[in-house]
Amino acid sequence: MTSHAANGAIDHHHDHTTSTGIPNKKLLMWAFLASDCMFFGTLISTHLIYRLHPPPGNPVPRQIFDIPLTSFSTFILLMSSLMMALAVNAIQKGNLKSMRFSLLATIVCGAIFLGCQVFEFNNFVFEKHMTITNSILGTTFFTLTGTHGTHVAIGVLWLGLMYVRSFKPATGGQPWTTTLLHVVALVAAVLLSMKVVLSVIWALEAHGLSGATLGGVVGAQWLAIVGTVIAIGAERWFARPAGPVQFDQSNAIDVESMGLYWHFVDIVWIVIFTAVYLLEYL
Amino acid sequence: MEATAKSHFTGKEEHAPAKPSFAFWRPTAKTGLMSWLTTVDHKKIGFLYGSFALFFFLVGGCEALLIRLQLIVPNNTLLTAPQYNTMFTMHGTTMIFLAVMPLGAAFFNFIMPLQIGARDVAFPRLNAFSLWTFVAGAIILNVGWFLPDGAPDAGWFGYAPLTSKLYNPTHATDFWILGLQLLGVASIAAALNFIVTIINLRAPGMTMMRLPVFTWMTLITSFLIILSFPAITIALVEVMFDRQFGTNFFEVSNGGMPILWQHLFWIFGHPEVYILILPAMGIVSEILPTFARKPLFGYPIVVFSGASIGFLGFTVWSHHMFTTGMGTVATAAFSLATMTIAVPTGVKIFNWIGTLWGGHLKMRTPMMFALGFIWMFMIGGFSGVMHSAAPADAQQQDSYFVVAHFHYVLIGGSIFALLGGIHYWFPLMFGRRVSEFWGKLSFWVIFIGFNVTFFPMHFLGLNGMPRRTFTYDGNMGWNVGNMIATIGALILGTGIAIYFAVIIYTYLKGEKAGRDTWDARTLEWSVPTNPPPEYNFAVIPTVHARDAFWYEKHHQSEIEQEKAAQHQAEAAHGGIHMPFQSIYPLVASIGALIGAFGAIYHNLIVALIGGSLLFIGIYLWSLEGAEGYHLHPDEDGHDDAPAPKH
Amino acid sequence: MSDSAHSPATAGHVAEESKFAAYVQIAMLLAVITGVEIAVIGLPFATWLLVTVLVVLSVVKFMFVIFYFMHLRWDKLFCTILFFIGLILAGGTMWALLKLFGAEASVPLSVAVNTVADLSRLV
Repeated sequence: MTSHAANGAIDHHHDHTTSTGIPNKKLLMWAFLASDCMFFGTLISTHLIYRLHPPPGNPVPRQIFDIPLTSFSTFILLMSSLMMALAVNAIQKGNLKSMRFSLLATIVCGAIFLGCQVFEFNNFVFEKHMTITNSILGTTFFTLTGTHGTHVAIGVLWLGLMYVRSFKPATGGQPWTTTLLHVVALVAAVLLSMKVVLSVIWALEAHGLSGATLGGVVGAQWLAIVGTVIAIGAERWFARPAGPVQFDQSNAIDVESMGLYWHFVDIVWIVIFTAVYLLEYL
Repeated sequence: MEATAKSHFTGKEEHAPAKPSFAFWRPTAKTGLMSWLTTVDHKKIGFLYGSFALFFFLVGGCEALLIRLQLIVPNNTLLTAPQYNTMFTMHGTTMIFLAVMPLGAAFFNFIMPLQIGARDVAFPRLNAFSLWTFVAGAIILNVGWFLPDGAPDAGWFGYAPLTSKLYNPTHATDFWILGLQLLGVASIAAALNFIVTIINLRAPGMTMMRLPVFTWMTLITSFLIILSFPAITIALVEVMFDRQFGTNFFEVSNGGMPILWQHLFWIFGHPEVYILILPAMGIVSEILPTFARKPLFGYPIVVFSGASIGFLGFTVWSHHMFTTGMGTVATAAFSLATMTIAVPTGVKIFNWIGTLWGGHLKMRTPMMFALGFIWMFMIGGFSGVMHSAAPADAQQQDSYFVVAHFHYVLIGGSIFALLGGIHYWFPLMFGRRVSEFWGKLSFWVIFIGFNVTFFPMHFLGLNGMPRRTFTYDGNMGWNVGNMIATIGALILGTGIAIYFAVIIYTYLKGEKAGRDTWDARTLEWSVPTNPPPEYNFAVIPTVHARDAFWYEKHHQSEIEQEKAAQHQAEAAHGGIHMPFQSIYPLVASIGALIGAFGAIYHNLIVALIGGSLLFIGIYLWSLEGAEGYHLHPDEDGHDDAPAPKH
Repeated sequence: MSDSAHSPATAGHVAEESKFAAYVQIAMLLAVITGVEIAVIGLPFATWLLVTVLVVLSVVKFMFVIFYFMHLRWDKLFCTILFFIGLILAGGTMWALLKLFGAEASVPLSVAVNTVADLSRLV
């Protein structure tokens, strides 16, 4: 810690107060990710084992999967990784504004990915009639991708909390209610906009693009639409410029640890995309 | 725990100096209930781990006695068959997860930071979270005793489809699933903490190859925990989904394969048995050099063989499943891998014998337990090698021979070393020392009782007596063996009772022990007082040799100068940094406890309340930050107003 | 750290300058690889070849993310070792499990019975 003051610049890859020079939080996160490798390794194994000898009557994945949709969400998750890496890069240089923008972009990408997953699950259950209980493929598929989705959701929440944290005023004395309301506004904005976008897509799918379709969606979802606008507005209001904050280069390690988690969720998806989806098409 | 709480420096230090700028409540109690609930001190947390573990050790022991009493004569009716199932299930689960593992964790917590010259673990509040989540898991696991559903009764291994809704419709199995899940979270969090601590918080000069062997074994055990527990986490999630949501993981009628549970369980389960034995090996590797008055023989070999045991532990899981019909190649491969483990284990035994060889042996109580460990563990190892041959194992599978084997390695191995470790570090932890006569008496009674109980089981097993059956007929030729084993169990129980009586008496009224009671070799004994002050080291030591404290004792003038310089440097940096206490780890763990109840009873509202509390706890914990305050003791650990030295 | 010949602070500084561009380029590369993967599954080649190609491409993506986005390349070697302990162990366990369940002895009865029925129908 003292070296920070002495050098002026912060060396983000080494911490001189620890025996190895690796910051404690980073080491903790890497050890956790090593553990998480076993976690997802076991889960993916379960799915693949049940794909080796499918029982009679098991659904055929090829007839169920929607590769264009999955490719799109894979692409989105890759882009979220890019934004996350840029966020870490920005805060390491002390560029708070750029970090906040990148964090928001990561959150949006994460939300789009989750939206795609909701869409996909909905489609599989109601259109393709594959549920978590009616076949072993449904059981392992929904458990595996659902667990991954839960990891993404936790990541989005963590990103949101970190984003809100970056507004903590330097003077202190901010009431905790402000922080809480900011978090609530952000979460509401993400959830409501997901709901609106999904409704629009479902309506377009069902009735095709026309004025009547859009009118119908607006009629049915006007509450969610108004809510989205209010939530985004509130979030923007809480995020207004308001003096110096308690968030700078010394917090880069927190953002970086969160980033490690986020990228890990991304690489798990890289494996799932190949092992669960693409291999079925050979 | 008066001793630690009342040590002379507490209550005189300035605590909670400046009020933090934000509105967080930072508990400051140094005594009383709140000080324990909010503690982040690794020594207090270690003490709590140890207390809970010893309590559950007694509970598990009582369950074992009931099992033995039921089997004393043929066709006994002391327990019904379902009660017997509950007993052996809870005996196994309790002893493994609630007694031996937390007792190991108690030593990791208390001793390891002292051995590496650190003032605490890397994440003190995470440490508190591990402790309280462990307690939550223990509560869930045992709550069935007091509820109409009853305690878990599907075996500690929980083989599918025994755990399915069809065969186990009550919530008993749900208690087992969620209890183990919480214990897994607690263990992984603690293990991550220990890994970071050992890698990153070593004192200057404490290179990896100068770490005391106990610390090395802590590190290896922690790696085993973080890498093996995810497998059982997934397996438990799968069986929980099967029970709660009707999925098909182990549902044969829909394409599920119960054998998968066995694989996932033993991918965790085999490393788990090394999680139980490696800390014991570490403790013995500390006790032997101290009482043989010479350094550990072949230190690097001991370390590397420990690491290779840890690694090989992941490659042998299917030897628990030789009779399930895995195919010739798999069976042969796992057989071979299992035999390989005998090599590093044998190497360790020879190193311990090498340490004793030509030593100036001091036969104190901890030494007795350590020597008992070597001998008994070897017998358990021999029967282990017998199991590794798949054709032989096919005969021994599920017989009392297996029961004899793993009790020789778990009692003769783990428990002997842990009991010896308590004697060894008792003076350090509480400043009092156990009477040699009573200590040795308890050792001999335990030793005799243990062998009388479990040696006959080898013969019972080879004569075909199966495990997990609640009674047997009088014409099977098992009567004498069972009678002897039960008498032995009563002797063993008496020995344990003596042991606990002696420990409690010593804690309250025992002979005061001076600093460095045993003339030991490692850094934990270099702390200024017994019990250690809350900041551990008045001056962070600089390490020059493997047996760091031994070196200090033989280079006093050099060390004095070094300490003075180091003390000045630390004082210039504002004194000793101490972390604030925190209530939020406890809040988060209570949230996990409530959430688990919600999951068990399929009650969404309760689960959400628990989940929210968990989230709030973690969020506030991260918001309050890792702030602390500073202490300024002098070089010998005295405050400005010097306290009398003893 | 600072007295080593090649001060990490300076080296890091140089790296930081070009990181932004590097990150964007890597992300584009990853997107292209994903596209190639999707294209590959439609090609009329032997299955083993396609599997190999897919696995190799995934590994390349994986490595780019962990070494660049997750900074392993610029961090101490120990972080890489730590992560690879878990990664290799998980990979090995997965491989062993799939081998075990792929073995003839592990074919579930329901599937095996069906196969036998199919065969007898053929005969």
